[in-house]
Amino acid sequence: MMQETTDKKWFDELILELRLRQVRGDAIGDTVASARELLSDSGQGAEEAFGPARNYAAALELPTAPRNEWVKKALWPLLLSLLAFLLFSQAVASWVSSEAMLVSPAQVAFLATPAVAMALLPLYIHAAIRRIWVLIALVAICAMSGLLSAVTTPATQADAWLALDPLPWLVGSATVMVLLSIAITIRSWGYDGEYITDPRSNTTPRNGTGTKILTTIITNWIFPLLALAMLGLALALR
Amino acid sequence: MTVSHPEPPASEGADWPSDWLRATLGFFALHALSAGPSYGYAIISELERNGFGTVKGGTLYPLLTRYEAAGMVTTEWRAGDGGPGRKYFALTDRGRAEKNRLSADWLRFTALSNRYLSDGQHTKEITT
Repeated sequence: MMQETTDKKWFDELILELRLRQVRGDAIGDTVASARELLSDSGQGAEEAFGPARNYAAALELPTAPRNEWVKKALWPLLLSLLAFLLFSQAVASWVSSEAMLVSPAQVAFLATPAVAMALLPLYIHAAIRRIWVLIALVAICAMSGLLSAVTTPATQADAWLALDPLPWLVGSATVMVLLSIAITIRSWGYDGEYITDPRSNTTPRNGTGTKILTTIITNWIFPLLALAMLGLALALR
Repeated sequence: MTVSHPEPPASEGADWPSDWLRATLGFFALHALSAGPSYGYAIISELERNGFGTVKGGTLYPLLTRYEAAGMVTTEWRAGDGGPGRKYFALTDRGRAEKNRLSADWLRFTALSNRYLSDGQHTKEITT
């Protein structure tokens, strides 16, 4: 039982390390299945047979996607969506209450913090995934900056740096979010490279088609869905 | 041709310097495949039976993966008898040629080494 738990942890770490190296899902599935095969034959534990998961993942030298491909494919669309969502969240309350969207410099700085944190993600993503406290600190900083941006919202037009008509910003940011989600969905639909397939059965071990559709919708449409929820909440509280 | 499931490895207590094994494991693994396709544990067992000690999966698989990338080995998953499938490795023509080349070089190298050690010939150091 103890060995099973240790091995499960080792395999989880191996998959994570291979993911961080941008190895395709089918190659990860093949690596995991062949390691399990040897453990089953030899009766050894994973660490005993293969050494630390991180070293084993490095030693395999499996083909990887170009180092910065995920930045172009995933990070920039996500970053643009986040910026659009932040704009939408500022504009929606003003639009619902038929007031101008008031902006202060401090508010812009606090709103930009999550976007900057995300833009710098390639510099610290490995540390964030391997050390939970980095991830917790990141979430705390983003949540705190969101809170402070609300606190620094100007109360009157005289305090504001900018006073904008919220409707164009609302429509513009919503359009950007929807277009980006459509583009990401179209691009990811035919691509199965991220799914870990078991070479012994050519199936994804845990994810069926229903799960795949649900995962695609949640991950690709998260910002439009959140924006819709925010709009509904603002209208309900009017 | 397939390699039957081996007997449990009978270690000869081999404790060779790790540098020696590192230098030779590549073509030993290719040699283990020269009789026909085989899988990880069968290759490890064959090497152990022949007195080379227990090779770890963490050493063998990266080696075979590199050979596969270099076109010297192909892989195929085959269904197991009532159990999960096995990944079989097979030599390609390129792998066989590389194995023959390395084996011939190794035999020449060991012949030279043996002659040198048994003849007791020494290169006289020239001192000024």
